Amino acid sequence: MSAILDLKGLEVSFDGFKAVSGLDLSVGEGELLCLLGANGAGKSTTLDLICGKTLPTAGTIRFRDRDITEVHEFRRARLGIGRKFQVPTVFRELTVEQNLEVARSEYPGVLSTLRRLGVRRCDRLEEVLELVGLTSKRRAQASELSHGETQWLEIAMLVMQDSQLILMDEPTAGMTIAETSRTCELFNRLRGRHTLVVVEHDMSFVREIAERITVMHQGQVLAEGGVTDIENNEAVREAYLGSRGIAHA
Amino acid sequence: MSQKWLLPLLGYVAFSVAILSVPAMVGDNVFLLNKYARYLALALPAVALALCWGQAGILNLGQGFSFGIGAYAIAMHLKLVASASNPGGLPDFMGWNNVGALPWFWEPFHSLGFAVLAGIGVPVLLASLLGWFMFRARIAGVFVAIITLAMLVVGNLLVVDQQRYTGGLNGMTDLAWLNVLGLQIDPYSRAFYYLTAGSLIAVLMAGFVLVRSKFGLILQAIRGNPERVRYFGYDVARYQSVAFATSAGVAGIGGMLYAMVLEFASPTFMAVPLSLAFVIWCAVGGRQSLLAAAIGAVVVNAIQGSLSEAFLDTAQLLVGGIFVLVVLFLPRGLGGLVEDTATRLHGAGARLRRGREAVEKSVDLPVKRGEVAK
Amino acid sequence: MAVESFFSQAFTGLSIGSILLLIALGLAIIYGSMGVINLAHGEFLMLGAYATWFMQSQLGVGLLGSLVFVFVMVAAFGWLLERTIVQFLYHRPLDTILATWGIGIMLQQGMRLLAGGELRYVELPGSLDVTLSLMGLELPLYRIFIIVLTVGLLAATWYLMKRTEFGMRLRAVTQNRAIAESYGINSKRVYSLTFAYGAGLAGVAGALVAPIKSVSPDMGTAFVVDAFMVVVMGGVGSLLGAVVSAGVLGELTAGVAYLLNDTLAKVLVFLTVIVVIRFRPQGLFPDRTRS
Repeated sequence: MSAILDLKGLEVSFDGFKAVSGLDLSVGEGELLCLLGANGAGKSTTLDLICGKTLPTAGTIRFRDRDITEVHEFRRARLGIGRKFQVPTVFRELTVEQNLEVARSEYPGVLSTLRRLGVRRCDRLEEVLELVGLTSKRRAQASELSHGETQWLEIAMLVMQDSQLILMDEPTAGMTIAETSRTCELFNRLRGRHTLVVVEHDMSFVREIAERITVMHQGQVLAEGGVTDIENNEAVREAYLGSRGIAHA
Repeated sequence: MSQKWLLPLLGYVAFSVAILSVPAMVGDNVFLLNKYARYLALALPAVALALCWGQAGILNLGQGFSFGIGAYAIAMHLKLVASASNPGGLPDFMGWNNVGALPWFWEPFHSLGFAVLAGIGVPVLLASLLGWFMFRARIAGVFVAIITLAMLVVGNLLVVDQQRYTGGLNGMTDLAWLNVLGLQIDPYSRAFYYLTAGSLIAVLMAGFVLVRSKFGLILQAIRGNPERVRYFGYDVARYQSVAFATSAGVAGIGGMLYAMVLEFASPTFMAVPLSLAFVIWCAVGGRQSLLAAAIGAVVVNAIQGSLSEAFLDTAQLLVGGIFVLVVLFLPRGLGGLVEDTATRLHGAGARLRRGREAVEKSVDLPVKRGEVAK
Repeated sequence: MAVESFFSQAFTGLSIGSILLLIALGLAIIYGSMGVINLAHGEFLMLGAYATWFMQSQLGVGLLGSLVFVFVMVAAFGWLLERTIVQFLYHRPLDTILATWGIGIMLQQGMRLLAGGELRYVELPGSLDVTLSLMGLELPLYRIFIIVLTVGLLAATWYLMKRTEFGMRLRAVTQNRAIAESYGINSKRVYSLTFAYGAGLAGVAGALVAPIKSVSPDMGTAFVVDAFMVVVMGGVGSLLGAVVSAGVLGELTAGVAYLLNDTLAKVLVFLTVIVVIRFRPQGLFPDRTRS
């Protein structure tokens, strides 16, 4: 499996605090990688680094054999990196359909958007709406959706964007059990076509979807492996249980 | 989708028909005609503001900068025409300021085409530069408001300061009439009214399409959350700059018409109060719709104009009060009020229909319609 | 000669800077702690100037004797406005620009109806209407008085914000209104008193500039723009920033005005502000308590 994304020796510090230090991470084409770690381990910062929201103080980021360390956020998106934020961010004043149209960004230039209509109907749109079960709410304003529906709308937007690499920050945060299991289904339909990097806290969800897990601790990779490897890993137990132990004491 | 297009389009068409039929109603009262042409010219900067503020969320407190440049561009041309019989074709104020010969940058303004091009092109160019300067650095919200306000003050000060070339505080007065292909257009005439109304209608129709294009959609998305738009691969700064520059061009057109209708250009066009008045008209009408902003400008000006002579100060007081009330209770302006009412009526109608269908379905009649029970 | 004119320009700059700080101080408090862009600030100034004029021409009370009255009157007026209008707009910062501009128009027109549109003049207090000669410099005493009073008001404001119970409450509300309220702080009261204090400062500023600028209903517009530039360049919520930026802008104005002319000096000042905002939108001295 060839690597689509390759992080080498990344470092970030905020006001002297090293959020990420010496991070090496490689993600294969079509892989679904879960990032685990306690709060402050540097998971979200890692996603920020990949999509360009944060620039590293040292190290390189390569995407499809191209150095993108210094590339602008919107250009990274054009290269095929999509991002779902922890707090669902959709365009609340626009309708569901309009949100998806914004996400359909194969021609993102000013001149080409001037020549296009606000919303174009097509099979892809119907398919994606169907996928997340929002067909009946296509004309509803995004602000009227429930929390779970908003999460799905954002996932649907990423599917619509059709990025090769999708970064997801806690996709099931705040979802009910039923909503989480539907999200599982969604992920299973995304895998293979897209490469996914998912930050998640919910272990049962991780068990359900993960092929490979990377555990982060203090801005570095602590362990990598399959679900059972990780669950039986001494260092991981120590990092997790250690902190829990302190919390209980 | 068709419904979403149809109703607003009807509104635009109705407004166009209404303003085009004004000359037929006022008859030969050319003073009234001139007054209405003035209101329509002032609607353009309000429309321009609705475009960049209402659509893209860029609050430009210095719209008068572009408006003023448009006004001065056309005034320079008309001043040259009026000064043709002066020694050296030199405008009178230059003579008073001991300017010996026409400055080089005045020369091209002998051509009407150049003047019109400059009246639109210079604001567009300057706004593109300023937009690029601001939006590349992701300046937003209040800071854009402050920067545009500062830019306006700079423009105003420069125009006043460069008296030798601009006429200073007095501005440029005694302008000639517009002469298109040998046809003199008196600002107190139907022809001039139609020119103004036609410009406004053309801008509104172009804006109608623009707002409903995908470009417009991206602007609205940027207004909501620029960050998110960026991660879909759009160059947000470029979109904002284009919206900002387009808006400046429209304001420039408004400025040109305004200078022609008043037959002078003055630094007050670039003063802070007028630019904030544009914001007021746009907000009162409703910034989310170009048409609403245009109507807002016309209505507020008509109110002020009708009370003017006797109660100018009271009228101003009233306008200030109305404006505060609108901001407090109708953040989307009168246009928003109309829209909400329409949606509510539509919603009520739809609920009624659904209710009726539900009743028809739930009541299982043994007899089908058209049959007679035996 | 060169040294003398340098000091003379430096003094002029200091004088302009002190006036800028004086008119910006109230705005800095209101914008910095409440996030309200108060475009009616210039009109508060105007009210202060008219109140002074009224006291002097109608009641025969001098400028110095009027200051406290002016402060209380404009503060009360600010409090009233906050209670009736501004308090509903805290969650819509851009709309505060619009609403306060509307209020400003009403105040301008109201004053024009009440006092007429003509220019009014306020006389300098006799005791301050002298020019000091110091090491070859001609220093108008009133300008020195303004500098001293500005420093005094600044110190009082600093003390109020940083050393009193009220200031602590205000900072708590600024940082997080909900949490402050859960600790029993009446945030509405804190906000309306702060707004009143800022308005009162504007009133005093109006009284003090009245003798050196002409008093008219629309005198506030120019002041509010200047005040804004000072506050935004200094950094929202930072008193130190306001001081430094008023000082820089004052000296810059005086220096360029000496080399070129007054108008170009203003042009350059505004362009400087634009560039500073572009590269440091947080201002020269960002306030770290606000996220």
